[in-house]
Amino acid sequence: MIPLLSLDGVSRIYRQRRGLLGRGVPLRAVDDISLSVAPGLTLGVVGESGCGKSTTGRLALGLETPDSGRVTFRGAVMPPPDGAEWRSQRRHLQLVPQDPLGALDRRLTVAAQIAEPLLIHGIGNRGEREDRLAALLNDVGLRADQAARYPHELSGGQRQRAVLARALATSPALLVCDEPVSALDVSIQAQVINMLTDLQAARGIAMIFISHDLKVVRQVSHEVAVMYLGRVVEQGDPDAIFADPLHPYARALVSAIPVPGPRRLPRIVLSGDPPNPADRPAGCAFHPRCSLATAQCRVEEPGLIARADGRRVACHRADELARASA
Amino acid sequence: MSATLVSIRDLWVSFDGHAALRGVDLDIAPGEAVGLVGESGCGKSVTWLAALGLLPVKAAVSGQVLLDGQDLRTLKPAALDAIRGRRVAMIFQDPASSLNPVHRVGRQVVEALRLHRGLDGAAARAEARRLFDLVGIPDAGRRLDAFAHELSGGQNQRVMIAMALAGEPELLVADEPTTALDATIQAQILDLLRRLQAETGMALVLISHDLGVVADLCSRVGVMYGGRIVEEAPTATLFAAPVHPYTQGLLAALPDMTGPRRRLTAIAGGVPEPWNFPPGCSFAPRCMSATSACDAALPAARDVGDGHSVACLHAHVPEPVRAVVPA
Repeated sequence: MIPLLSLDGVSRIYRQRRGLLGRGVPLRAVDDISLSVAPGLTLGVVGESGCGKSTTGRLALGLETPDSGRVTFRGAVMPPPDGAEWRSQRRHLQLVPQDPLGALDRRLTVAAQIAEPLLIHGIGNRGEREDRLAALLNDVGLRADQAARYPHELSGGQRQRAVLARALATSPALLVCDEPVSALDVSIQAQVINMLTDLQAARGIAMIFISHDLKVVRQVSHEVAVMYLGRVVEQGDPDAIFADPLHPYARALVSAIPVPGPRRLPRIVLSGDPPNPADRPAGCAFHPRCSLATAQCRVEEPGLIARADGRRVACHRADELARASA
Repeated sequence: MSATLVSIRDLWVSFDGHAALRGVDLDIAPGEAVGLVGESGCGKSVTWLAALGLLPVKAAVSGQVLLDGQDLRTLKPAALDAIRGRRVAMIFQDPASSLNPVHRVGRQVVEALRLHRGLDGAAARAEARRLFDLVGIPDAGRRLDAFAHELSGGQNQRVMIAMALAGEPELLVADEPTTALDATIQAQILDLLRRLQAETGMALVLISHDLGVVADLCSRVGVMYGGRIVEEAPTATLFAAPVHPYTQGLLAALPDMTGPRRRLTAIAGGVPEPWNFPPGCSFAPRCMSATSACDAALPAARDVGDGHSVACLHAHVPEPVRAVVPA
């Protein structure tokens, strides 16, 4: 199947200045990753802060140009930002950000903002746009009187619905959801997650769902990629990975999720903090925190290698670990 | 029932005439770990800010907060200062904003040691270093001279915990201590709190929106909604057999980590704003079992056995399971 969007060997390097007069040091926010999303399906991207998951989302949307590798949408290379071609492609690729209050204009009513993409992309005449607005509000469960309000007059859940309606206005083929429910209360989170999966089922929208919350990612994803310091360390079927993660970092991450009720996997507590992305350890970037690291891990970076069960793992000791857990 | 360290009795708080807390009763035994869970605006933080006299003056507070039988609410500021940070310490969600950015972190811990334990000079610094070691800050001697911005979020939270331990408190109130941290760092801090509690024998109140975090660390949990504790039970009981419709709804709304994926059961509607609490049960507008009686008055907490209490008129209480011995 032809993927809707694919990232092939994509890297994004920022230059980070150290000190006032310091020279810039390269920070590999995303380092040679390859991912793809099929139409109508969801790719979950998980990892801790600084792992490059949001940069991955921005690369997928074409908001950033990769320093190497390429991003293709429907088989064509993503046009560079701000050109006419890029602008017209915006309607197919939309972002749902984490903080809806920050993403909404406080001086415009919610309805005006939901309808704005239709104006920008010249979709429909006035009457059609009004019908479309009503349909969008209905899809995300907002009433017309709520949409007539300003962002600060709505609750967090209602604002997130408004941001989602705005993203859906142009009928995009792909939504990049960057921590879309992290700021919401648990009971509201469930409403928004159900709404996202319902909309996906009804409209066949593909999603890249970025989150630090593994429970939420498992709920919505058809495939999942675990990132650590700019690289994918394990990728595959969410049920397989979350039930039996293979990469030592994925294992620690899964075991660190606090669950109400009895714990299935023994808890692995990692020592130390995630290293600074500007100061990547040599070899496997995870080796300083890994209890299984060997001399090879300190010098040689493991590749992301496909395994018999279909998942891909970047660990020198993956075979041993798979045998031990079998 | 063992002796009680802190006993909160019928605590009410209102801001500008709007009730934020509506009659909270809670007992903490010495050395016990109690969790308070709930969504934003439920009053879980306000309960402890009010108990320790940390709310702004415009807050109207009534009720009793007894520490060893002495009501903190009636104490003079100087007497309260001798308790806060000494016998009862508190840590917050965002450690970086709780620390002073222009003073070295070691100096801030030394200040707490001087205030609460009368230590000075080399003795205070040695004790600060011991505390840094205790909370697992690597290279403690050098980190004493670091500024907050030079440390990671997890390390800053460790500094805050070290500072809270400076007074050798009998109770540590941790308000969302791991919410701003990454999952693997959260696991480290939870482990640290568990170890410190076991080593020092202090009681712990863990305030969190995350049921999993509370389940991990606490032996007893209170679920708050709309300014009240709606259900309270030993942790295992609460997660295995929740009785209040809100607790049941919260657990059903959480995605599972294992087993088949199911559609989440969302609770309809939204959390009520404090200026808009219904007169009766706060949860009634979202509750499937609500009747007109629920709107009439606040439901009182009733005991349903084994340290389990619930404030709901309609809660279905499971029959006590009787062991059936085959003949």
